[in-house]
Amino acid sequence: MNRRATRLGNVLFITVNLLFLLVICSSMIIPLWNAVAVSFSSNLASMQPGIQMWPRQFSFSGYKTIWSILAIWKPFENSAIVSVLGTLLHVFLCSLAGYALAQFHLPGRRWITSLILITMMIPFQAIMVPVYVTMQQLGLLNTLFALILAGTVSGFSILLMRNFFLSIPGEVLESATIDGAGHFRLYWNICIPLSKAGLATVALFEFVGRWNDILTTVLFINDPNNYTLQVALNSLISQGGSMSSGYIVTDNVKMAGIMIAILPLLLVYPFVQKYFVKGIFVGSAKE
Amino acid sequence: MENTQQLAARTLSMKSKLKEQRKGKNKLAWTLYLMLVPTIVYFVILTYFPLLHAILISMQNFHMIGDRPFVGLQNYSQVLSDQTFWSTFGNTLFLGIGILLIGFVAPIVIALSLNELLQTWLKRTIQMIIYIPHLFSWVVVGGLWIYLLTPNTGLVNVVLKLLGIPQVQFMTDPNLARWVIILVSVWKDVGYNCILYLAAMVSINPALYESARIDGATRWNEMWHITLPSLGRTMQVVGLLSIMGILRLFDQIYVMRNAVIEPKVDVLMTYVFDQGFKQIDSIGQATASALLILLLSLFLTLFTRRLVRYDDM
Repeated sequence: MNRRATRLGNVLFITVNLLFLLVICSSMIIPLWNAVAVSFSSNLASMQPGIQMWPRQFSFSGYKTIWSILAIWKPFENSAIVSVLGTLLHVFLCSLAGYALAQFHLPGRRWITSLILITMMIPFQAIMVPVYVTMQQLGLLNTLFALILAGTVSGFSILLMRNFFLSIPGEVLESATIDGAGHFRLYWNICIPLSKAGLATVALFEFVGRWNDILTTVLFINDPNNYTLQVALNSLISQGGSMSSGYIVTDNVKMAGIMIAILPLLLVYPFVQKYFVKGIFVGSAKE
Repeated sequence: MENTQQLAARTLSMKSKLKEQRKGKNKLAWTLYLMLVPTIVYFVILTYFPLLHAILISMQNFHMIGDRPFVGLQNYSQVLSDQTFWSTFGNTLFLGIGILLIGFVAPIVIALSLNELLQTWLKRTIQMIIYIPHLFSWVVVGGLWIYLLTPNTGLVNVVLKLLGIPQVQFMTDPNLARWVIILVSVWKDVGYNCILYLAAMVSINPALYESARIDGATRWNEMWHITLPSLGRTMQVVGLLSIMGILRLFDQIYVMRNAVIEPKVDVLMTYVFDQGFKQIDSIGQATASALLILLLSLFLTLFTRRLVRYDDM
């Protein structure tokens, strides 16, 4: 009797558990699926009430409108430039600094490390006003370069790279040192090829962060020609029906914009899965 | 006797060799400093200089162009007597604590539930799905939910209508909008923290479960007495990061707010932003308030660090 009761309990447990997870998953999938369906609907159909889990009157007009008529290709291009160049620069400079900090015999290493650690305790928003003033004094306001420059290095990435370099066995480096290799050669020919996972982690974090960033553009850019995708999309969505061009922005156009904004992220997603967790743990391991 | 002399000679030669090596390394050190130059220059120009400059600006009647008279602590007293500052402070507490509490429990519950799944492929698929929203920007997530919650056409209200429930104005009712913001924030980040917990669960010693099973423990018992207590450290880290996130709340509010709900959802960082970039000539006040918030966040960090003992991670 008792045994049967536990078996029944087990079945019930598994069923309830599965149902719970199903509800959670559908709360993630249904909104996205709904957005996909609406983005492929025609202008008029997208505005009609009702559950849309499949495009009504299938059409690309949402995508055509946002891409060419509302010219979102320009902010898309800006975002691509800023994200790609910014990420490359970020990975390069952070790995260089991480390499230097991984050398124990470097005089002043602790001092420099704490200089970098302290920056991690300062939220960017807390110094956004004086950073804006600095950017203005440097004459960089309204340039894409300001967006690339902001966040060129970060304490998080530097420490993450340093931890990766520290995990390289010392004998490998020693034998290379005996062969007379300088630090730049050690860094480029030995450490970089051995730390691909670390580089990928930093690059992915940074690319996703830059692609999704809104604050730096809002701060440093006034000229719509230099807007990034997220800011252009935000003004499109929040201004609702009216645009400066007098064009009515229907729901399918908004959802098409959202799809365009998440496409690059979905492309890197398989890699993100692989590296993010690893990165999080290496990053949080001992200072 | 001879032996010791030989030994002494050897140690001497060793010493000089070591010295030479150290010299060589010091010669090499300049390359290392060169590698650090971009980083140091960046932090000096775009973090430390603005930080020091902020202290000056906060005591000035700051104008982008023209003279900037020194006004002492006037900006600070203006901030502290500003009604809006205190109401955004209250909003930050409400939203922050809401996100903190619900956002802390939800990923643990989901991770525990996922851990009970026996099929690995199903586990991995669900894990992948719930992680997706974390990848998206706040513009995307905010836009998506504002659309879903629109009266008449949004999916949520359409479903409510089918169930015979009257339409709800989620984003124009300030008290409801607060909860929307809390729940959407949890929705976005739950997958991220969930993965951290799942990773911690993998490293639990399977022998613990085996011995529990021999003692006749049910799955519920196992979950409550073995899995949950093993997650302590991960909970500490997640909690620490979430607490530090409270004062950084900005993007979500910037994207999701509208004129009607602003008095109830504007947070400290949006206050700084509005003072600095929407109001004319209150850059000094914005900077003063930002410095107060920074001070608060440093306190919070030190306090939680002491509480959580992050260093034995």
